[in-house]
Amino acid sequence: MISGSGLFPARRVTRLPGGYMGRILRVDLTRGITKDENLPEEPVLRKFIGGQALALYILLKELSREATPYGPENKVVMMTGPITGTGLTPGGTKVTAVYLSPLTEYTLGRGASSGFWAVYLKAAGYDGIIIEGASARPVYLFINEGGAELRDASRVWGKGARATEDLLRQEVGLKDAKVMSIGPAGENLVRAAMLCNDYNHNAAHSAGAVFGSKKLKAIVVYGTQRPPLHDKERLIEAGLRWRKTLVVRNEDEKKTAGHAEDLHALPNLNYRSSLIEDHARGFEQNRITLRPCFQCQRLCPWDVEIGEGPKKGTIGHYNAGSEWLDTFFNLGVKGNEVLYLAERINDLGIECSHFSCGAAVAFEAWEKGLIGPADTDGLRFEWGNVDTIDRLLDMAAKREGKWGELLAEGPTQVAAAIGGDAPKWVVHTKKGTPALHDWRPHFGQMLREIVASGGMKPQGGGSAKPPPDLAYREKWGPLDRDDPTGWPWSQVLSEQYRQFCGLTGGCWFAQMHMKPDGLKSVSDSLSATTGWDFDLDEGMVAGHRSMILQSIFGTQRGWVADHDWQQVGQRFLEPIPDGKFKGFTIGKWIPQMVFDYYRLSGRHERTGRPFMDTLQNLGLEEFKEWAQLD
Amino acid sequence: MSEKYGNLIPTGKLLDGRPRTILFDATKCIGCRQCVHACKDWHDHPRTSVYEFSSSNWIQMDPPVLEGLSPLWARNSCMHCEYPMCAAVCPVEAITKYDEGPVVIDPVKCIGCEYCIYACPWGVISKDEVTQKASKCTMCAPRVSEDKSPFCVVACPVGALDFGLEEEITAKAHARASEVGGETYGENEAGGTQVVMVLKERKEAYGLKFILPEKYPAHKIPLGLMLKDLFTPRCGVSGKLRALYLAIVHPKRLVYRYWPRRASKDFQ
Repeated sequence: MISGSGLFPARRVTRLPGGYMGRILRVDLTRGITKDENLPEEPVLRKFIGGQALALYILLKELSREATPYGPENKVVMMTGPITGTGLTPGGTKVTAVYLSPLTEYTLGRGASSGFWAVYLKAAGYDGIIIEGASARPVYLFINEGGAELRDASRVWGKGARATEDLLRQEVGLKDAKVMSIGPAGENLVRAAMLCNDYNHNAAHSAGAVFGSKKLKAIVVYGTQRPPLHDKERLIEAGLRWRKTLVVRNEDEKKTAGHAEDLHALPNLNYRSSLIEDHARGFEQNRITLRPCFQCQRLCPWDVEIGEGPKKGTIGHYNAGSEWLDTFFNLGVKGNEVLYLAERINDLGIECSHFSCGAAVAFEAWEKGLIGPADTDGLRFEWGNVDTIDRLLDMAAKREGKWGELLAEGPTQVAAAIGGDAPKWVVHTKKGTPALHDWRPHFGQMLREIVASGGMKPQGGGSAKPPPDLAYREKWGPLDRDDPTGWPWSQVLSEQYRQFCGLTGGCWFAQMHMKPDGLKSVSDSLSATTGWDFDLDEGMVAGHRSMILQSIFGTQRGWVADHDWQQVGQRFLEPIPDGKFKGFTIGKWIPQMVFDYYRLSGRHERTGRPFMDTLQNLGLEEFKEWAQLD
Repeated sequence: MSEKYGNLIPTGKLLDGRPRTILFDATKCIGCRQCVHACKDWHDHPRTSVYEFSSSNWIQMDPPVLEGLSPLWARNSCMHCEYPMCAAVCPVEAITKYDEGPVVIDPVKCIGCEYCIYACPWGVISKDEVTQKASKCTMCAPRVSEDKSPFCVVACPVGALDFGLEEEITAKAHARASEVGGETYGENEAGGTQVVMVLKERKEAYGLKFILPEKYPAHKIPLGLMLKDLFTPRCGVSGKLRALYLAIVHPKRLVYRYWPRRASKDFQ
């Protein structure tokens, strides 16, 4: 076990700020042992706070440059934040996992999830987990009130996420235990396999594949501890203010076509139409149950009991976002069979866009005659063929047959195997896939999908106006939706404040509506919890630091900023074929927008390396080896 | 207030003397258990099981399944009875009925005799395994004394919980019940309580108990427990002396403790 980084003091010399449990669990799967580490000293905590930045700082210190995504030397660092699990703010539910990405193989992989699991990790006495090595046989990690052990997982190996969750809860004999697991997709190294927890929640972007490569089926957590609070009264006050800034979700909107309605575009038949038609037919007959995350009043997660059609009676579990709807709309399915398939894909643990973008290329190839029944073992790759899609989901999760292998690998691999013009039809960025919506009409979201600070999965896109809480320093907007001016800076800012919210252990869905006091109440919650006097300027710097760390991780492994715009699927940048935004594309402003984005965030526009003064301003001089010197 | 109770139970006043009521609207409840966790958060209780009553879990949502996985949800917690049998049977005056509604156990006075646990018609009182004191929801009495709502009510994300003056909440409950074609629960049970529920199905569907509308409903404190408390060192010498002194000062309370059926009849 590596403990020589000096990050984890044998005995703390600085105070442990409020909100932290004070310990990280290190798990060596090769040797089958666990060890407690003390959290880093207070100055490190104040700089990186928690979540992605603290986890990544640890990963940067510990991960070998020679590590490969599926090798035992890859590590997964999972971190909560100080406001995770206080119960007194909305959105205090987040855990973020970082690792070398199996999708790109050279940039940061990041999966984040909400629900209850992170709260109970802290209740068990830990702020985070470092997972290293690889087990020879399937195991699960059971963390119970400050103790941890690896247990045999052969009973649940091969099971879906739902069954795994139920069975492991039974096995540990604790009804209140929370389970994060991988489905068959993770076990079989589907490159975009997810972590699944608390039924409705998934951490996307391939953390599940890394778990699978380590034969780690699940982490079960239980405990009764609560994070110590610096000033509970102030935290309650800040949390109630934060709550007032939420836009609360409701049952009725779960009977629509989802986020596509907000975007005014929906991906049909591999992004070849953006029209919203009768996609949500039959949804009005469903029974919807809202299943909010721990003490969050935004009410994102929901369950369905399908009320009509061939899948009547099916129960499904979903979170906010609705990309799983567009996933199957994109394959020509409409109505309640979409919800049925969405439940299947989540249970198998495949990131939905990974499957959809791959299968859509294959279906388009079938439509255009590039492949036929002789190539598909008799399966008919027809748009909207639910039976075929159902079968392909299983095949992908288990890497069965040629198409299972290809869909598990990813859309670019599917297209390469088909050949011809197929590679032009792939929607992807750096071989990964965007959260599956039709983002193409929107500058902020498209730039977000393409750059993501050299990572793969972004954290929200720039808005046409700065959040009201930043009006004291940002005097611009509203931006024009047809003009690129200002959008790169909007993206730089949005990444900063969204990163900041995540670092606190908060969910950015709980502050995305940008109402007055939305950001201020987050930083006030952090201050009340920790005892630090955090303001928004310091929060923005922390967010910026997290962005720079993310691209440094890629820089160390050969990523350059040019890859962001050179490795984008052509279909993603084509003019929109129809509908309200017909003919629009941001393609004509690429790569200039990408150049502007990197330059404005203090990095070189071609290499993506941070400038020395950027590192100095952020207190990251220790990474000067990776700076852009000219 | 003491006139109403004929000196049967300790009474007190927190604020303005006007009774308050909690409204639980089962037609809106989604079973998220945010009220359960909020209760723990306000009282700094450890995050013990949310599925069963304990000294650190004062609200229990039925059925005991994962959040959201049931179409119907019932709230089980202290009903803050208008005529609290728990207070009537307490031999050491550890339980007080406040004019504003809360029925509160004073852990300093409690000697751990468990009479209240058996006397409660709803079975919502627990014994702390460490301190050996009785424990239950306080209706956030300190918050009520500042004219604030109980913290569970504040936390509810869907407006299934409400809190206010008894007459206003009762009117709301009736209006809502007739709107959904349902019924109310808690207004008359055990002679009336400070928690009123709006149900859209029959109470049996929620697993709610049938409790007669009589004040101080008859309890079933086991005879063995009473004998043990009287004739063994249980509850301590000072506890026994206090109980003895109070029995002399308030002899009528003994009827409630030891002949509940008779007492219950007398009081109607």
